[in-house]
Amino acid sequence: MGDLKVVGKRVERVDVRAKVTGGALYAADVQLAGMLYGKIIRCYDYAHARVTSLDLSDAAECKGVIKVLGPKDVTQREYNASVLDMMVSADMRGVLGDIDDQSIFTDHLKHYGDAIAAVIATSEAAAERAAEKIRVTYEELPVYLTAEASKQPDALQFRPEKPGNRAFELPEMAFPGNVYAWGEVEESFSEADFIVEDTFYVSKQKQCQMEPGSYIALYDDQQRLNCWTSTQMPKLVQKKLANLFELPMTRVRINATVIGGGFGARLGMVLEPETCALAMAVPGRPVKLLSPREEDWLTSPSRHPGKYWMKMGFKKDGTPVACDAKFENYKGAYYVDASGTAFTTGAWLGGMYKFDSLRYRGESYYTNQSICGAFRGYGNPQTNFVMEQLVDRGCTQLGIDPIEWRKKWHKTVGDDGWCMGVPYNSCALDECLDRAAEAIGWTEKRAKYQNQTGVKRRGIGVAVMNHTSGAMPMLLEHTVCDVLLHQDATATINLACSDMGQGSHTTLRQVAAEVLDFDYDDVHIATGNTDAAGFDIGAHASRTLYVGGGAVKQACEDVRRQLFDRAALELEEDAANLYMEDKIIHVKGASNKSISVQTLADQGVNNFMNPENGELIGQPGQIQGYASFFPPHNAPPFGATIAEVEVDMETGEVKVLELVNAHDVGKAIHPGVVEGQLDGGAQQGLGMALTEETYFDEKGICLNNSFTDYKMFGPSDMPKMTNILVENPDPTGPFGAKGVGEAGIVPPVGATANAIFNAIGVQILEAPITPEKILKALEEKANVS
Amino acid sequence: MTSRVMQDFNLLLPETVPEALGLLASHKDKATILAGGTDLLVALKFDYAIDNVISLALISGLDELAFDPLLGLTIGAKVTIADIVKSEEVKQHYPALWQSAVIFATPQLRNTATVVGNILRASPAGDCSLALYALGGKVTLESTSGRRDVYLDDFWLSYGVTARQDDELAIAVTVPPPGQGQKSAFRRMTRVTEDLSKINAAVCLQMDGNKCVAARVAMGCVGPTLVRLINVEKSLEGEEITTDLLQAISDTVASDINPIDDIRSSAEYRLKVAGVLVKRVINLALNGGSDQ
Ligand SMILES: Cc1cc2nc3c(=O)[nH]c(=O)nc-3n(C[C@H](O)[C@H](O)[C@H](O)COP(=O)(O)OP(=O)(O)OC[C@H]3O[C@@H](n4cnc5c(N)ncnc54)[C@H](O)[C@@H]3O)c2cc1C
Repeated sequence: MGDLKVVGKRVERVDVRAKVTGGALYAADVQLAGMLYGKIIRCYDYAHARVTSLDLSDAAECKGVIKVLGPKDVTQREYNASVLDMMVSADMRGVLGDIDDQSIFTDHLKHYGDAIAAVIATSEAAAERAAEKIRVTYEELPVYLTAEASKQPDALQFRPEKPGNRAFELPEMAFPGNVYAWGEVEESFSEADFIVEDTFYVSKQKQCQMEPGSYIALYDDQQRLNCWTSTQMPKLVQKKLANLFELPMTRVRINATVIGGGFGARLGMVLEPETCALAMAVPGRPVKLLSPREEDWLTSPSRHPGKYWMKMGFKKDGTPVACDAKFENYKGAYYVDASGTAFTTGAWLGGMYKFDSLRYRGESYYTNQSICGAFRGYGNPQTNFVMEQLVDRGCTQLGIDPIEWRKKWHKTVGDDGWCMGVPYNSCALDECLDRAAEAIGWTEKRAKYQNQTGVKRRGIGVAVMNHTSGAMPMLLEHTVCDVLLHQDATATINLACSDMGQGSHTTLRQVAAEVLDFDYDDVHIATGNTDAAGFDIGAHASRTLYVGGGAVKQACEDVRRQLFDRAALELEEDAANLYMEDKIIHVKGASNKSISVQTLADQGVNNFMNPENGELIGQPGQIQGYASFFPPHNAPPFGATIAEVEVDMETGEVKVLELVNAHDVGKAIHPGVVEGQLDGGAQQGLGMALTEETYFDEKGICLNNSFTDYKMFGPSDMPKMTNILVENPDPTGPFGAKGVGEAGIVPPVGATANAIFNAIGVQILEAPITPEKILKALEEKANVS
Repeated sequence: MTSRVMQDFNLLLPETVPEALGLLASHKDKATILAGGTDLLVALKFDYAIDNVISLALISGLDELAFDPLLGLTIGAKVTIADIVKSEEVKQHYPALWQSAVIFATPQLRNTATVVGNILRASPAGDCSLALYALGGKVTLESTSGRRDVYLDDFWLSYGVTARQDDELAIAVTVPPPGQGQKSAFRRMTRVTEDLSKINAAVCLQMDGNKCVAARVAMGCVGPTLVRLINVEKSLEGEEITTDLLQAISDTVASDINPIDDIRSSAEYRLKVAGVLVKRVINLALNGGSDQ
């Protein structure tokens, strides 16, 4: 690869100045002439009810009101806000059973905050005031908050095509026996010397991105639907909206605004359908829709909570013979990502250890909770909480060091990855474990923390994970990239990849600059307009650098190739005999024969004729690079976290003292960006393990859809933290890079739980592990012994 | 549900206390006082209806934070939590109050929120309120018809309700001078650092050597208002404070409190840890740093 000039450097992030000075233009900041404001009327009295009467007349009369819309006044088409259906073939869609079950407004309200109607007015205040005048009566329906409740035979059915309220199970056609499996599980268990088994609960964590939902839509004079949104997936949202409103794609334009955090909360559509439906009702006028935090909480997806049962069998020497698991998630009111998460939760399980046999069932059940969908890790944190605790229980019974066991039994190069049939092509997990252990002093601490007696007891725990860079081959992975070479030898890279704050526009620019052999400042990443950019599946599955970067690399290589071809003609040399340095193309071994990139670029645009001889000067045509890139693999990142905690035995309080995260990142294109992802991931991982959960009362009213009572780790809760970047280049990644967007959240979950186990000798089966649960568990333990 | 739109109200900006009292006298229960606004604005988001807001912003003379060895501590109505944190005198003479201010919310909140506002909010979780309760504070209320002092013991009537009349302005809260052997401390438990208490405790002990002459022990989040732990106080008074005594006391705390389940914790948990908290806060008062 030679010396890298831009890749691997801590260049200034493209977005940092605008964000810290307040200059970044979020959707809420966008002001258009003649703007109208929408307010959606939601039901905050019931989590499950039927609207028996709806009277919009008083609202319609209010000052400033332009229009009032009920369920019948908008498109009657149903949709699915998730985009999974667009990432698989039509055949597979049928097999998976993904359905469209959401509508803009509804008279069958299925969760706290479901939408009934809307007001459009000349100001936000007028819209809100009018909304208060809408009169609704309801028939209360029974509320099902868990899978256990909604699967009861007498439960009211959410959708006729999903009997038993089972939105999804692994389909027989793709997963014989409705399981994701290898080997013969029952047989393998019979060979086990002992078995560990339990039912866990994983919580309904929320992304808590900083920017609450803000949208603008305008159905303009050309009958084009324009939508300003901070979606993670502009091109898929464009297509989804085109389908929903029955418009050709060329009449739908997404203006992708600066994203104030995503973490999956903007994967697919959120309130784009509602905003566009309002705009279609008032052609020519832009309509803005702004969610307060409390509403954003209920209308954007959360992590999938649910019961997660798992059983593992081991031989005395530690050999893992079998693993059996079932995740029954509480899907919430609508289908959304019912299929995706139910599958991947098991995929991460399958991708981790060399069990002789493994069997996983994933099922999603409708409930009257707010919807679940994508959230950083996509099932992986759930699996980490359960799998890693059970492995440690096994290690304790075996008397084997948890790191030694993991090093011996994790899957590696050549083993099937999270997707069976696609073997791992790189893996540096051993090095991650070794370096993390050394950094935190694992061996000494593990020994020291045995047989403690005091009020404050320390513990140290480890967890590992595998993840992915893009979702190939399960889902389509594709990014189109155009590179426009300007006549002054600078370049604009045009593509639809979004930067949610993870730094992708910075790293994509680094890749482009490196390949073109340009300075970082000579390249601009242009995004945000679906009219201009080619296809991109969107920011998900830790794929933007891996797949988007692959596309950028290929398109820039295309530019390079054209430059070399032209230089070859100009210099009358074989292109293979040329090399580029500092934007000059030289003939190898002939220092006086060269031509600059700028000359080639300029001559391509300003292709003048020599008046003396009538010949064109240089080669004609502006150089543009192009790639329509499908990655060959999914370059799995691996990672390990070691956590050290102190537990107060009298109060159950947990203090996280230290976290060491060691990740196999392939190649850190920008080490600061990678560290940022690991830091942020750890903050969310600790939250999932210790504090974060969405609570509902028995009627399904959400009790903490705001930051007052939904508690995340803040700066002063964060432990001392070290990130170790293990750079073991992946053969398929751009410059060897793997995806790191999600990896960081995963192993802190299991490592924290295991550190607590190490400190107090009891495992807490329900996330988050609160002091209340710890004290109860300690008491139960004391009563038993 | 919350609103993104600030409701309409009349913002009144008196420049003197008498002017403010005049406005209160004419608007009575149709007026709401705005100090730091950190409680009021949250309530407004949830559509708490108000007609007139009387802001203290322009009134001078309410920001006095003064310590006098004979008169004690005076905390004016505009004194912020950050002012308390900055005060060496509070730190030295009233550790309980100082400790309740240091852990309070975040720097932004501390710079805005007032101590008197904390008391007037009458929350059963109020941190500075709890410290002042243990320290024996009293509130000075003033209206056009005169002034009166109400001890915090008599001030909080029920959840969110105080002894303040509609036309009264809280001018200040005062705390008696610390006795010779006075030791005080505050401690709380939260879900994360920036949070409201799930349970909190404050003590003020008058010590004669190892012997406790008088004790005020208060606890929050275990009833509709902050409460005094009368049985705990009785067990301490006249006794030498030993590990055994503390253990015995911590086992009896549950009889003084009546917590409920809420979003921050459970009744069961609060009952379990209340004794531990009391033990620790007493140790903190007696030993400074160490709280075990
Ligand atoms: C993010 C956040 C974190 C918080 N953390 C904590 C915490 O850690 N601990 C804690 O105890 N509290 C906390 N609070 C609550 C709040 O900050 C405190 O109660 C604060 O002390 C209130 O003071 P204020 O000046 O902002 O009161 P305001 O909101 O201005 O007023 C509160 C109430 O008192 C009345 N009032 C105020 N001053 C007077 C006066 N002089 N005379 C008569 N009535 C008056 C007002 O009318 C209102 O009803 C937090 C709040 C938020 C938003």
